[in-house]
Amino acid sequence: MNPNDSNASRFKSATADRRGERDLDLLLIHVARGDTEAFEAVYDRLVGPVYGVIRRVLRDPSQSEEVAQEVLLEVWRTAARFDPAVGGAATWVMTIAHRRAIDRVRSTTAAAGREHKTAEVHIPHDEVAEAVEASLDAERVRRCLDGLTDVQRQAITLAYYGGYSYRQVSDLLKVTLGAIKTRIRDGLIRMRDCLGVS
Amino acid sequence: MRFLRHDPHSLSGAYALDALEAGSERDRFTRHLSRCQSCASEVRGFREVATAMAFAAAAEAPAELRGRVLAAAARTRQLPPEVAGGSHTRPRRTRSWVPWVPWLSGVVATASIVVAVLFGFAQAHTQDELNQVKAENQAISLLLSAPKAKLLTYEVTHGGVATVVLAADRHELAVVTTGLPALPSGQVYQLWLIGKPKIVSAGLLPPAKNGQTPAVLATGVAKGDTLGLTVEPAGGSAQPTTTPILALPLPV
Repeated sequence: MNPNDSNASRFKSATADRRGERDLDLLLIHVARGDTEAFEAVYDRLVGPVYGVIRRVLRDPSQSEEVAQEVLLEVWRTAARFDPAVGGAATWVMTIAHRRAIDRVRSTTAAAGREHKTAEVHIPHDEVAEAVEASLDAERVRRCLDGLTDVQRQAITLAYYGGYSYRQVSDLLKVTLGAIKTRIRDGLIRMRDCLGVS
Repeated sequence: MRFLRHDPHSLSGAYALDALEAGSERDRFTRHLSRCQSCASEVRGFREVATAMAFAAAAEAPAELRGRVLAAAARTRQLPPEVAGGSHTRPRRTRSWVPWVPWLSGVVATASIVVAVLFGFAQAHTQDELNQVKAENQAISLLLSAPKAKLLTYEVTHGGVATVVLAADRHELAVVTTGLPALPSGQVYQLWLIGKPKIVSAGLLPPAKNGQTPAVLATGVAKGDTLGLTVEPAGGSAQPTTTPILALPLPV
Protein backbone atom coordinates (compact mmCIF):
# COMPACT_ATOMS: atom_id res chain seq x y z
CA MET A 1 0.00 0.00 0.00
CA ASN A 2 1.27 3.42 -0.84
CA PRO A 3 1.73 5.16 2.51
CA ASN A 4 0.91 8.52 1.00
CA ASP A 5 -2.52 7.33 -0.03
CA SER A 6 -3.21 6.12 3.45
CA ASN A 7 -1.99 9.40 4.89
CA ALA A 8 -4.22 11.40 2.61
CA SER A 9 -7.35 9.50 3.51
CA ARG A 10 -6.24 9.52 7.11
CA PHE A 11 -6.21 13.28 7.36
CA LYS A 12 -9.46 13.75 5.47
CA SER A 13 -11.15 11.54 7.98
CA ALA A 14 -9.62 13.54 10.79
CA THR A 15 -11.32 16.70 9.67
CA ALA A 16 -14.19 15.86 7.34
CA ASP A 17 -15.91 12.80 8.70
CA ARG A 18 -14.88 11.80 12.18
CA ARG A 19 -15.12 8.08 11.61
CA GLY A 20 -11.50 7.44 10.79
CA GLU A 21 -10.50 9.43 13.80
CA ARG A 22 -12.69 7.33 16.05
CA ASP A 23 -11.27 4.16 14.52
CA LEU A 24 -7.83 5.33 15.40
CA ASP A 25 -8.92 6.33 18.92
CA LEU A 26 -10.35 2.85 19.34
CA LEU A 27 -7.16 1.24 18.05
CA LEU A 28 -5.13 3.18 20.56
CA ILE A 29 -7.42 2.08 23.38
CA HIS A 30 -6.69 -1.50 22.31
CA VAL A 31 -2.98 -0.73 22.22
CA ALA A 32 -3.23 0.37 25.84
CA ARG A 33 -4.40 -3.17 26.68
CA GLY A 34 -1.32 -4.66 25.07
CA ASP A 35 -2.89 -5.53 21.72
CA THR A 36 0.08 -5.79 19.38
CA GLU A 37 -2.07 -6.13 16.25
CA ALA A 38 -3.73 -2.84 17.08
CA PHE A 39 -0.28 -1.33 17.55
CA GLU A 40 0.78 -2.54 14.11
CA ALA A 41 -2.31 -0.90 12.63
CA VAL A 42 -1.56 2.36 14.46
CA TYR A 43 2.02 2.16 13.24
CA ASP A 44 0.96 1.68 9.63
CA ARG A 45 -1.42 4.60 9.72
CA LEU A 46 0.79 7.08 11.52
CA VAL A 47 4.40 6.26 10.67
CA GLY A 48 4.32 8.43 7.53
CA PRO A 49 3.42 11.72 9.20
CA VAL A 50 5.45 10.87 12.32
CA TYR A 51 8.62 10.23 10.34
CA GLY A 52 7.84 13.04 7.90
CA VAL A 53 7.39 15.79 10.46
CA ILE A 54 10.44 14.68 12.42
CA ARG A 55 12.56 14.68 9.29
CA ARG A 56 11.21 18.07 8.30
CA VAL A 57 12.45 19.46 11.60
CA LEU A 58 15.69 17.52 11.98
CA ARG A 59 16.66 17.08 8.32
CA ASP A 60 19.08 14.29 9.08
CA PRO A 61 17.50 10.97 7.99
CA SER A 62 19.29 8.72 10.47
CA GLN A 63 18.57 11.00 13.44
CA SER A 64 14.97 11.27 12.27
CA GLU A 65 14.64 7.52 12.14
CA GLU A 66 16.01 7.26 15.66
CA VAL A 67 13.58 9.85 17.02
CA ALA A 68 10.67 8.31 15.11
CA GLN A 69 11.45 4.99 16.77
CA GLU A 70 11.47 6.65 20.19
CA VAL A 71 8.15 8.34 19.48
CA LEU A 72 6.42 5.20 18.25
CA LEU A 73 7.71 3.24 21.19
CA GLU A 74 6.43 5.97 23.50
CA VAL A 75 3.01 5.59 21.86
CA TRP A 76 3.10 1.91 22.75
CA ARG A 77 4.37 2.54 26.25
CA THR A 78 2.05 5.39 27.21
CA ALA A 79 -1.08 4.46 25.25
CA ALA A 80 -3.01 4.17 28.52
CA ARG A 81 -2.47 7.89 29.06
CA PHE A 82 -4.26 8.76 25.83
CA ASP A 83 -7.57 10.42 26.63
CA PRO A 84 -9.95 10.61 23.64
CA ALA A 85 -11.98 13.25 25.49
CA VAL A 86 -9.06 15.66 25.24
CA GLY A 87 -8.24 15.19 21.56
CA GLY A 88 -7.90 12.68 18.76
CA ALA A 89 -5.33 9.92 18.59
CA ALA A 90 -3.58 11.38 15.54
CA THR A 91 -3.13 14.70 17.34
CA TRP A 92 -1.91 12.96 20.47
CA VAL A 93 0.73 11.07 18.50
CA MET A 94 1.79 14.07 16.36
CA THR A 95 2.14 16.21 19.47
CA ILE A 96 4.56 13.65 20.92
CA ALA A 97 6.41 13.39 17.59
CA HIS A 98 6.88 17.11 17.11
CA ARG A 99 7.86 17.69 20.73
CA ARG A 100 10.48 14.94 20.57
CA ALA A 101 11.91 16.40 17.39
CA ILE A 102 12.08 19.82 19.02
CA ASP A 103 13.72 18.38 22.13
CA ARG A 104 16.35 16.87 19.88
CA VAL A 105 16.89 20.18 18.07
CA ARG A 106 17.18 22.18 21.27
CA SER A 107 19.58 19.69 22.86
CA THR A 108 21.87 19.77 19.85
CA THR A 109 21.43 23.37 18.76
CA ALA A 110 25.03 24.07 19.55
CA ALA A 111 26.14 21.17 17.38
CA ALA A 112 27.66 22.38 14.18
CA GLY A 113 26.03 21.88 10.86
CA ARG A 114 22.44 22.44 11.66
CA GLU A 115 22.60 26.07 10.59
CA HIS A 116 23.50 24.95 7.10
CA LYS A 117 20.86 22.33 7.03
CA THR A 118 18.14 24.78 7.98
CA ALA A 119 19.42 27.71 5.98
CA GLU A 120 16.76 27.27 3.34
CA VAL A 121 13.93 26.95 5.83
CA HIS A 122 13.00 30.58 5.61
CA ILE A 123 11.51 30.05 2.19
CA PRO A 124 8.21 28.62 3.33
CA HIS A 125 6.83 28.04 -0.14
CA ASP A 126 9.67 25.72 -0.96
CA GLU A 127 9.15 23.97 2.34
CA VAL A 128 5.59 23.25 1.51
CA ALA A 129 6.18 22.76 -2.19
CA GLU A 130 8.27 19.69 -1.39
CA ALA A 131 5.26 18.08 0.12
CA VAL A 132 2.72 19.14 -2.47
CA GLU A 133 3.22 16.09 -4.64
CA ALA A 134 3.13 13.96 -1.55
CA SER A 135 -0.54 14.15 -0.80
CA LEU A 136 -3.79 15.93 -0.85
CA ASP A 137 -3.21 17.02 2.73
CA ALA A 138 -0.24 19.03 1.65
CA GLU A 139 -2.37 20.73 -0.97
CA ARG A 140 -4.96 21.72 1.62
CA VAL A 141 -2.37 22.91 4.05
CA ARG A 142 -0.54 24.84 1.36
CA ARG A 143 -3.75 26.53 0.28
CA CYS A 144 -4.52 27.52 3.85
CA LEU A 145 -0.96 28.74 4.43
CA ASP A 146 -1.33 30.84 1.28
CA GLY A 147 -4.30 32.56 2.87
CA LEU A 148 -2.09 33.93 5.65
CA THR A 149 -0.09 37.13 5.67
CA ASP A 150 3.59 36.69 4.85
CA VAL A 151 4.67 37.14 8.44
CA GLN A 152 2.02 34.76 9.79
CA ARG A 153 2.99 32.09 7.26
CA GLN A 154 6.72 32.48 7.78
CA ALA A 155 6.37 32.51 11.57
CA ILE A 156 4.24 29.36 11.66
CA THR A 157 6.42 27.54 9.14
CA LEU A 158 9.66 28.47 10.87
CA ALA A 159 8.28 27.45 14.24
CA TYR A 160 6.64 24.19 13.23
CA TYR A 161 8.70 22.88 10.34
CA GLY A 162 11.88 24.76 11.14
CA GLY A 163 11.79 23.92 14.85
CA TYR A 164 12.67 27.45 15.88
CA SER A 165 11.50 28.95 19.14
CA TYR A 166 9.36 32.06 18.79
CA ARG A 167 12.27 34.12 20.11
CA GLN A 168 14.44 32.80 17.29
CA VAL A 169 11.60 33.40 14.83
CA SER A 170 11.32 36.97 16.08
CA ASP A 171 15.03 37.40 15.52
CA LEU A 172 14.99 35.83 12.05
CA LEU A 173 12.02 37.87 10.86
CA LYS A 174 13.09 41.05 12.64
CA VAL A 175 9.68 41.34 14.27
CA THR A 176 9.21 42.04 17.99
CA LEU A 177 8.47 39.15 20.35
CA GLY A 178 5.03 40.50 21.14
CA ALA A 179 4.16 40.78 17.45
CA ILE A 180 5.45 37.27 16.69
CA LYS A 181 3.30 35.73 19.41
CA THR A 182 0.27 37.48 17.98
CA ARG A 183 1.10 36.60 14.35
CA ILE A 184 1.50 32.92 15.23
CA ARG A 185 -1.77 32.88 17.12
CA ASP A 186 -3.73 34.84 14.52
CA GLY A 187 -2.27 32.69 11.76
CA LEU A 188 -3.25 29.50 13.55
CA ILE A 189 -6.78 30.80 14.05
CA ARG A 190 -7.03 31.39 10.29
CA MET A 191 -5.53 27.97 9.57
CA ARG A 192 -8.00 26.37 11.95
CA ASP A 193 -10.93 27.99 10.17
CA CYS A 194 -9.51 27.25 6.74
CA LEU A 195 -8.91 23.57 7.52
CA GLY A 196 -12.33 23.25 9.10
CA VAL A 197 -10.99 22.10 12.45
CA SER A 198 -13.85 22.07 14.91
CA MET B 1 9.35 43.72 31.77
CA ARG B 2 6.74 44.01 29.12
CA PHE B 3 6.99 40.44 27.94
CA LEU B 4 6.50 39.06 31.41
CA ARG B 5 3.43 41.13 32.00
CA HIS B 6 2.02 40.36 28.61
CA ASP B 7 -1.33 38.64 28.41
CA PRO B 8 -0.44 34.96 28.72
CA HIS B 9 -3.27 34.02 26.31
CA SER B 10 -1.25 35.28 23.40
CA LEU B 11 1.30 32.49 23.95
CA SER B 12 -1.22 29.78 23.05
CA GLY B 13 -0.06 29.65 19.42
CA ALA B 14 3.64 29.47 20.20
CA TYR B 15 2.90 26.87 22.88
CA ALA B 16 0.89 24.66 20.52
CA LEU B 17 3.76 24.69 18.01
CA ASP B 18 6.31 23.82 20.74
CA ALA B 19 7.91 27.20 20.12
CA LEU B 20 8.25 28.14 23.80
CA GLU B 21 11.69 27.27 25.08
CA ALA B 22 11.77 24.95 28.06
CA GLY B 23 11.89 26.96 31.26
CA SER B 24 9.96 29.54 33.15
CA GLU B 25 7.86 30.85 30.31
CA ARG B 26 6.64 27.44 29.21
CA ASP B 27 6.07 26.33 32.80
CA ARG B 28 4.07 29.45 33.47
CA PHE B 29 1.93 28.93 30.41
CA THR B 30 1.37 25.28 31.31
CA ARG B 31 0.13 26.42 34.73
CA HIS B 32 -2.04 29.00 33.08
CA LEU B 33 -3.55 26.30 30.83
CA SER B 34 -4.68 24.28 33.80
CA ARG B 35 -6.76 27.24 34.94
CA CYS B 36 -7.89 28.67 31.62
CA GLN B 37 -10.55 26.60 29.89
CA SER B 38 -10.67 28.75 26.77
CA CYS B 39 -6.88 28.65 26.37
CA ALA B 40 -6.87 24.86 26.67
CA SER B 41 -9.50 24.49 23.98
CA GLU B 42 -7.68 26.98 21.77
CA VAL B 43 -4.46 24.98 22.14
CA ARG B 44 -6.38 21.81 21.25
CA GLY B 45 -7.61 23.40 18.04
CA PHE B 46 -4.14 24.65 17.17
CA ARG B 47 -2.72 21.19 17.77
CA GLU B 48 -5.16 19.86 15.19
CA VAL B 49 -3.80 22.43 12.75
CA ALA B 50 -0.31 21.23 13.61
CA THR B 51 -1.47 17.66 13.01
CA ALA B 52 -2.64 18.65 9.55
CA MET B 53 0.79 20.17 8.94
CA ALA B 54 2.42 16.93 10.09
CA PHE B 55 0.28 14.91 7.67
CA ALA B 56 1.18 17.37 4.94
CA ALA B 57 4.83 16.59 5.61
CA ALA B 58 4.30 12.82 5.59
CA ALA B 59 7.22 10.89 4.16
CA GLU B 60 7.95 7.25 3.59
CA ALA B 61 9.80 5.88 6.57
CA PRO B 62 12.63 3.39 6.07
CA ALA B 63 11.11 -0.09 5.79
CA GLU B 64 13.32 -1.57 8.52
CA LEU B 65 11.90 0.86 11.09
CA ARG B 66 8.72 -1.16 11.39
CA GLY B 67 10.47 -4.33 12.53
CA ARG B 68 12.63 -2.45 14.99
CA VAL B 69 9.69 -0.61 16.57
CA LEU B 70 7.59 -3.76 16.88
CA ALA B 71 10.51 -5.68 18.36
CA ALA B 72 11.21 -2.87 20.83
CA ALA B 73 7.52 -2.77 21.79
CA ALA B 74 7.55 -6.50 22.42
CA ARG B 75 10.18 -6.07 25.12
CA THR B 76 8.82 -2.83 26.61
CA ARG B 77 6.41 -2.81 29.51
CA GLN B 78 3.49 -0.44 29.13
CA LEU B 79 2.56 2.22 31.65
CA PRO B 80 -0.60 1.56 33.64
CA PRO B 81 -3.47 4.04 33.27
CA GLU B 82 -3.67 6.91 35.72
CA VAL B 83 -6.45 6.08 38.13
CA ALA B 84 -8.67 8.96 39.18
CA GLY B 85 -8.20 9.94 42.81
CA GLY B 86 -4.68 8.59 42.79
CA SER B 87 -1.59 10.69 42.38
CA HIS B 88 -2.69 12.96 39.60
CA THR B 89 -0.09 14.57 37.43
CA ARG B 90 -1.52 18.05 37.47
CA PRO B 91 1.52 20.28 37.90
CA ARG B 92 1.78 21.31 41.48
CA ARG B 93 2.02 25.00 42.02
CA THR B 94 4.94 25.55 44.27
CA ARG B 95 4.76 29.27 44.39
CA SER B 96 2.34 31.81 43.08
CA TRP B 97 3.98 33.95 40.49
CA VAL B 98 4.30 37.53 41.56
CA PRO B 99 5.58 39.42 38.58
CA TRP B 100 6.93 42.50 40.12
CA VAL B 101 7.31 43.64 43.69
CA PRO B 102 8.49 47.20 43.43
CA TRP B 103 10.35 48.97 46.12
CA LEU B 104 9.88 46.36 48.77
CA SER B 105 11.06 47.03 52.25
CA GLY B 106 14.18 49.09 51.83
CA VAL B 107 15.46 48.19 55.26
CA VAL B 108 15.35 44.46 54.55
CA ALA B 109 17.01 44.89 51.19
CA THR B 110 19.82 47.13 52.35
CA ALA B 111 20.37 44.71 55.19
CA SER B 112 20.77 41.90 52.69
CA ILE B 113 23.43 43.81 50.80
CA VAL B 114 25.30 44.48 54.03
CA VAL B 115 25.01 40.83 55.03
CA ALA B 116 26.25 39.83 51.60
CA VAL B 117 29.25 42.11 51.97
CA LEU B 118 30.02 40.51 55.32
CA PHE B 119 29.79 37.08 53.71
CA GLY B 120 32.32 38.29 51.22
CA PHE B 121 34.72 38.96 54.08
CA ALA B 122 33.96 35.65 55.70
CA GLN B 123 34.65 33.79 52.48
CA ALA B 124 37.94 35.49 51.75
CA HIS B 125 40.85 33.27 52.71
CA THR B 126 43.95 34.97 51.41
CA GLN B 127 45.17 38.54 51.63
CA ASP B 128 44.59 38.96 47.91
CA GLU B 129 41.04 37.75 48.19
CA LEU B 130 40.54 40.00 51.16
CA ASN B 131 41.88 42.98 49.27
CA GLN B 132 39.62 42.18 46.37
CA VAL B 133 36.59 41.91 48.64
CA LYS B 134 37.57 45.19 50.27
CA ALA B 135 37.84 46.91 46.92
CA GLU B 136 34.53 45.50 45.80
CA ASN B 137 32.93 46.44 49.05
CA GLN B 138 34.26 49.93 48.79
CA ALA B 139 32.60 50.18 45.41
CA ILE B 140 29.42 48.72 46.84
CA SER B 141 29.37 51.00 49.85
CA LEU B 142 29.97 54.00 47.58
CA LEU B 143 27.07 52.76 45.55
CA LEU B 144 24.92 52.27 48.65
CA SER B 145 25.66 55.79 49.76
CA ALA B 146 25.04 57.36 46.37
CA PRO B 147 22.36 59.97 46.88
CA LYS B 148 20.28 58.77 43.97
CA ALA B 149 20.61 55.05 44.67
CA LYS B 150 17.39 53.15 44.20
CA LEU B 151 16.42 49.89 45.70
CA LEU B 152 14.62 47.26 43.63
CA THR B 153 13.47 43.87 44.77
CA TYR B 154 12.11 41.24 42.55
CA GLU B 155 10.75 37.74 42.96
CA VAL B 156 12.59 35.34 40.71
CA THR B 157 10.42 33.01 38.64
CA HIS B 158 11.40 29.72 40.26
CA GLY B 159 11.65 31.06 43.77
CA GLY B 160 13.97 33.42 45.56
CA VAL B 161 14.31 37.17 45.65
CA ALA B 162 16.82 39.40 43.92
CA THR B 163 17.67 42.71 45.54
CA VAL B 164 19.24 45.37 43.41
CA VAL B 165 20.75 48.66 44.46
CA LEU B 166 20.92 50.86 41.41
CA ALA B 167 22.92 54.06 41.20
CA ALA B 168 21.81 55.30 37.82
CA ASP B 169 24.03 58.38 37.88
CA ARG B 170 27.06 56.16 38.50
CA HIS B 171 25.88 53.56 35.95
CA GLU B 172 26.36 50.88 38.56
CA LEU B 173 24.31 48.37 40.41
CA ALA B 174 24.81 45.69 43.04
CA VAL B 175 22.81 42.47 43.19
CA VAL B 176 22.26 40.02 46.00
CA THR B 177 19.86 37.14 45.92
CA THR B 178 18.23 35.07 48.61
CA GLY B 179 16.57 31.71 48.32
CA LEU B 180 17.36 30.93 44.70
CA PRO B 181 16.98 27.20 44.05
CA ALA B 182 20.33 25.40 44.30
CA LEU B 183 21.66 24.37 40.90
CA PRO B 184 23.12 21.00 39.98
CA SER B 185 26.87 21.02 39.62
CA GLY B 186 27.88 22.19 36.19
CA GLN B 187 25.38 25.05 36.18
CA VAL B 188 25.66 28.64 37.37
CA TYR B 189 23.46 31.69 37.59
CA GLN B 190 24.62 34.45 35.29
CA LEU B 191 23.58 38.10 35.30
CA TRP B 192 23.07 40.09 32.13
CA LEU B 193 22.61 43.65 31.13
CA ILE B 194 20.16 43.35 28.30
CA GLY B 195 20.37 46.45 26.14
CA LYS B 196 18.76 47.34 22.85
CA PRO B 197 21.72 46.61 20.62
CA LYS B 198 23.38 43.91 22.65
CA ILE B 199 23.41 41.72 25.73
CA VAL B 200 26.43 41.93 28.02
CA SER B 201 27.34 39.56 30.81
CA ALA B 202 27.22 41.23 34.20
CA GLY B 203 28.99 38.38 35.95
CA LEU B 204 28.23 35.06 37.58
CA LEU B 205 26.48 34.81 40.92
CA PRO B 206 28.91 33.42 43.50
CA PRO B 207 27.79 30.28 45.34
CA ALA B 208 25.17 30.98 48.00
CA LYS B 209 25.96 30.91 51.71
CA ASN B 210 22.93 30.25 53.89
CA GLY B 211 20.78 30.79 50.82
CA GLN B 212 22.26 34.19 50.06
CA THR B 213 24.68 35.08 47.28
CA PRO B 214 27.40 37.65 47.99
CA ALA B 215 26.89 41.00 46.32
CA VAL B 216 27.85 41.28 42.67
CA LEU B 217 28.74 44.67 41.31
CA ALA B 218 27.92 45.52 37.70
CA THR B 219 29.17 48.60 35.96
CA GLY B 220 28.37 50.21 32.64
CA VAL B 221 24.62 50.16 33.16
CA ALA B 222 23.07 52.06 30.27
CA LYS B 223 19.72 53.71 29.72
CA GLY B 224 17.08 51.19 28.71
CA ASP B 225 18.97 48.19 30.09
CA THR B 226 17.13 45.27 31.60
CA LEU B 227 18.80 43.18 34.27
CA GLY B 228 18.46 39.52 33.40
CA LEU B 229 19.32 36.32 35.23
CA THR B 230 19.69 32.96 33.49
CA VAL B 231 20.97 29.49 34.27
CA GLU B 232 24.11 28.75 32.27
CA PRO B 233 26.70 26.00 32.04
CA ALA B 234 29.57 26.26 34.53
CA GLY B 235 31.92 29.08 33.66
CA GLY B 236 29.11 31.14 32.16
CA SER B 237 28.18 31.84 28.56
CA ALA B 238 29.04 34.62 26.15
CA GLN B 239 25.34 35.16 25.51
CA PRO B 240 22.33 33.85 27.42
CA THR B 241 21.34 30.33 26.38
CA THR B 242 18.19 29.91 28.50
CA THR B 243 15.06 31.90 29.17
CA PRO B 244 15.69 34.56 31.84
CA ILE B 245 14.21 33.74 35.22
CA LEU B 246 14.51 37.41 36.06
CA ALA B 247 14.04 40.33 33.71
CA LEU B 248 14.04 43.60 35.53
CA PRO B 249 13.89 46.80 33.48
CA LEU B 250 16.18 49.27 35.14
CA PRO B 251 14.84 52.75 35.74
CA VAL B 252 17.99 54.44 34.46
